Amino acid sequence: MAIHEPGSAAEPVGLFRINTGSCNGCDVELAVTSAVAEFDVEQLGCRYTESAHEADIVLVTGPLTVRAREEVLRLHAATPRDKVTVAVGVCPVSGGVFRDSYAVDGPLERHLPVDVNVPGCPPRPQALLEGIREALEIRRARREGSEPTRLPGDRKQPGKPGTDNFPARGRLSFDAAACVDCRMCRHVCAAGAIRFEERDESVRLTLWHNSCVFCGLCSHYCPTGALSVTGDWRLDHRATDAFRQIERGEVPYAPCAGCGEPIIPAAPQLLHAAFRRPNPEIEKLKNLCPTCRQRMSIGVPRR
Amino acid sequence: MSDRTSPASDNLPLPLSTRERGPETSPHPDPLPEGKGIVDAGGGRLYPDQFIHNVAAALAGAAGEQTEVAWRRDRKGVLTGWCRLPSGVALLPAARAVAELQGRLAMVTAYLPERAQEKGEREIAYHFDLDGATLTLTVILPLEWSRVPSLTPIFRNCDWQERELMELYDVQVVGHPDPRRLFLDHSLPHAPFERLVPYSTFTNAATSKALWDKVMAGAREDA
Amino acid sequence: MSTKIIELGSHQLALEEPMYFRVQLEGDRVADLDVMPGQVHRGMEHLVMRRNLYQNITLLERLCSLCSNSHPSTFCAAVEDVAGIAIPERAEYLRAVADEIKRIASHLFCCAVQANVIGETTLFRRVMEIREIMQRAKEAIYGNRMDLAANVIGGVRYDLDADSAAYLAGRMEEMKKPLDELYLQYENNPAIMARTAGVGVLTREAAREWAVVGPVARACGIDYDVRKKSPYGAYDRLEFEVALQTAGDVRARNLVRLAEARQSVSLIEQCLDGLPAGPLCADTLPEIPAGEAIAKSEAPRGELMYYLRTDGSDFPVRLKWRVPSYMNWDALKVMLKGEPVANIPLIVNSIDPCIACTDR
Repeated sequence: MAIHEPGSAAEPVGLFRINTGSCNGCDVELAVTSAVAEFDVEQLGCRYTESAHEADIVLVTGPLTVRAREEVLRLHAATPRDKVTVAVGVCPVSGGVFRDSYAVDGPLERHLPVDVNVPGCPPRPQALLEGIREALEIRRARREGSEPTRLPGDRKQPGKPGTDNFPARGRLSFDAAACVDCRMCRHVCAAGAIRFEERDESVRLTLWHNSCVFCGLCSHYCPTGALSVTGDWRLDHRATDAFRQIERGEVPYAPCAGCGEPIIPAAPQLLHAAFRRPNPEIEKLKNLCPTCRQRMSIGVPRR
Repeated sequence: MSDRTSPASDNLPLPLSTRERGPETSPHPDPLPEGKGIVDAGGGRLYPDQFIHNVAAALAGAAGEQTEVAWRRDRKGVLTGWCRLPSGVALLPAARAVAELQGRLAMVTAYLPERAQEKGEREIAYHFDLDGATLTLTVILPLEWSRVPSLTPIFRNCDWQERELMELYDVQVVGHPDPRRLFLDHSLPHAPFERLVPYSTFTNAATSKALWDKVMAGAREDA
Repeated sequence: MSTKIIELGSHQLALEEPMYFRVQLEGDRVADLDVMPGQVHRGMEHLVMRRNLYQNITLLERLCSLCSNSHPSTFCAAVEDVAGIAIPERAEYLRAVADEIKRIASHLFCCAVQANVIGETTLFRRVMEIREIMQRAKEAIYGNRMDLAANVIGGVRYDLDADSAAYLAGRMEEMKKPLDELYLQYENNPAIMARTAGVGVLTREAAREWAVVGPVARACGIDYDVRKKSPYGAYDRLEFEVALQTAGDVRARNLVRLAEARQSVSLIEQCLDGLPAGPLCADTLPEIPAGEAIAKSEAPRGELMYYLRTDGSDFPVRLKWRVPSYMNWDALKVMLKGEPVANIPLIVNSIDPCIACTDR
């Protein structure tokens, strides 16, 4: 039996899984946390149970399909009142790539209270363990009637040595200075995780990490590298913070050097991609609107 | 390296392995006369010309002389045949001919083609495997009151394909042994794929909008 | 003899995914079966028509995580056929590498789950630990342990440089001995044989009639592998034998899978040895004209087929696919007939059923 409190042998904490219609990615990785020694939930003093009544922590996967709803709600209702519910992967939170289907009835929080989110698609086992750790802390605090404390080394900390030597595809990062407002990222995003807003002084990009499926296609098609994949996979958070998990940047308008119309200037990265070594003549193009650019190009003598 | 022949040489046998078969395994009692099937007497590959000829002869004999198959051969030498049946009535005899050629039903695709409303037509494509080649038989049906005969009595594995087709589209499959819903929950309306044109509130982006409103509101609070 | 009908859910069937069976019993033996899918129906064939071709690469990868690479690679092949794109030779090899890595991990998961079902817990953990070598390799090369994000229209979006190729070659070396050992264990270990040999038999005749595919068909002696029958990508330049068994039982299905996993190691090594130089992708943003195409591949569970119809826009008019599991469920009626209730979970898992794939 696992020992999860120093000095006292205690009953292991029961983990109970509910699949609401997932692609099985999160479920297969959860299976790893019961079968592979390095990721075994035993190290957290937990064990998996097949009985809803023994659930101290409920791990929910999938976008919640219409057909699975009845059984999911029945199972969740059969778990003890004081359990902690963890949404595993982005599907329960936002539907992920399956949002807005006729056959999907999420998000999960519409039907039952969620305590912790573990984004990822699927989250790596290390991230699953961090999410379970967070749930254990909430459980402890509830029992003691105290506020759950933030776990030490909470954000952007690499895991313990030996488990984290690989560059996992994690949180996307946005560099507004490199963005040229082409919106290819939004075009290729299957999960609808990217929004552009046109404001008075700027164009604003918002990327919601709870919708993102971390495929990195936005970054692949981004012509300037404004969007890039980071190795930051520690994204677990309290469900109350679900809508604050964003990446955001403002791309300011500047007046066209020719006519003064507000435009998004071409980023240096774009000029480098297009011309390799832009000369001062080409550099001038970046502050011109398309109309003025054409006018200038025709006026420029051929070399 | 393998003993494959170059995909560029058109007159060599298809560079694929042989298909084993035993007469006792055939669900069809009358074996084809030698040289009329899709494999040779020893179970090996036919020359593509002979294969194409035999398939054409079998379909023309079953579904009418005007039945034509257009074949495409890809860079690896794999054949796909495309045949639009002259009428819905031709489907059953054509399917029986494919079964006699030892074809295997691989997939059934119902769809509303481009400008379906305008043309007043829908299509169902039946894709068969002929020892590695894929033959697609397409029937054109009216958009309203569409009916097709069930192929399940000929190809047992057509059962689920047809049950799914019936729940997703407004098409009646006549003679299906078990026409219950398969994947669709009973609380969902019939034939969701008919609602693609015109776009309806049925599949609007209500969830996306509600979630993004919260994301934007949450970001404002923080600001 | 008494006849009764029982309903079994995923828990009783020992499945990771939600699924229901209605089983008719004669005494304590199975007489008939009604498979009731749909719990994982996400309306994906509808969603793909409201997403453009680029979005569908990522959406389709999330059809099922166990064969996740087969879907975008086969879908991209259909788009490439419509657009008349020949992908670079290097991309063909890199697609094969990704598919074979996934095949090894998928086959091992299936064999592990069955060991667990028959109470061989030590073996279950051992297979999962061996599979971890592949999981780590996937994360090291692609950045995720399930969804590789390897494919784009026109080719691939990852490369193997000298270091990563050497790393992967090392992992392949590491897999050989354990895979050979596992094969012998599933073949000869008396405890495993007692539970798997002669259990859940599907004859070759029935396999033909029910038109099963993949390892389920090859375990009955049906010599059909899409990589041979309809070569695609790099497979016309790679050497391998179709893994065949004849008994058609649970044991034979696992032996086919373990032989294939071992063969995948060899295929990956051949790709690494013969990896041609050149670009990774034909054209970043190709024009996709109106047209239709069929693309097929040998996914871990067998023949996978995609049909794509386009109208010149970048939204598909129709994108339909048929997964291998779809073809194999109904044949469980034959495999389970006359079997005791206690054998149901094992036999069901022996076809490596994928519900996410089936339900879409």
